[in-house]
Amino acid sequence: MKYILMMNTMRAGQGVPSWQRNDLQAHIAFMKDTNKQLRESGELVAAEGLSFPDQAKVVRAGNDGVPITDGIFPESKEFLAGFWIVDVENPERAYAIAARISTAPGPGGAPLNMPIEVRPVMSGPPPEML
Amino acid sequence: MKYILLMAGTKTGVTGYHAWSQKDIESHMAVLTSINKELTGSGEFVATQGLAEPGEAKMVRGEKNGIPVTDGVFPESKEFLLGYWIVDVASSERAYAIAARISSAPGPGGVPTNMPIEVRRFASHGPSKGQ
Repeated sequence: MKYILMMNTMRAGQGVPSWQRNDLQAHIAFMKDTNKQLRESGELVAAEGLSFPDQAKVVRAGNDGVPITDGIFPESKEFLAGFWIVDVENPERAYAIAARISTAPGPGGAPLNMPIEVRPVMSGPPPEML
Repeated sequence: MKYILLMAGTKTGVTGYHAWSQKDIESHMAVLTSINKELTGSGEFVATQGLAEPGEAKMVRGEKNGIPVTDGVFPESKEFLLGYWIVDVASSERAYAIAARISSAPGPGGVPTNMPIEVRRFASHGPSKGQ
């Protein structure tokens, strides 16, 4: 079963670049190690990080189909910071991986215990949709 | 440059979608299928994925001992990711144009939904990138 593990952030999440260099390095090392283990167990399907929310645009089609872009979001909006797609035996395994990611170290090496949203993904678009 | 096009909605919105007629749903899917085909043809298609219903979502945190704590209660206003497209395009304008096409997919009665699509560039490097 495939699950997506989503790491969301508020705008305050932009504070990550202000972490001390060694804290940031420890965080990245933890994520790389997690990804390496998931690759070795054959459970990693994809992992991506997104650019910061200040580069996000929301796009709507106007009446003529021309894109209307806007960069203003509600203060309460959660932004996707990154995601993992894993292929696992059961939901409990997906939750265990999410919990591991949740404990990635933050400033001073303290676990962030950040919330990770876990959702089943559909088995994929039907072939006729591609 | 890789961009992700995120389609999000609230639980209320998803309930509304279920009330669409079969014909409206088919027209909507036909347009999305045709967009996917075009992107595959132009070499810009990387991936697309639909997510299961928000009712199946869980929020997970790691406890001190690393044990997962799961919770399925979310604020009413929360936007859930419904699906995404990843495209590899020459410019941000092209990503916005694709998002606009998705936005103009037909809804009930064939009227364009004009739904908002969030467009985000992939980080070239970052904490969650596993390379």
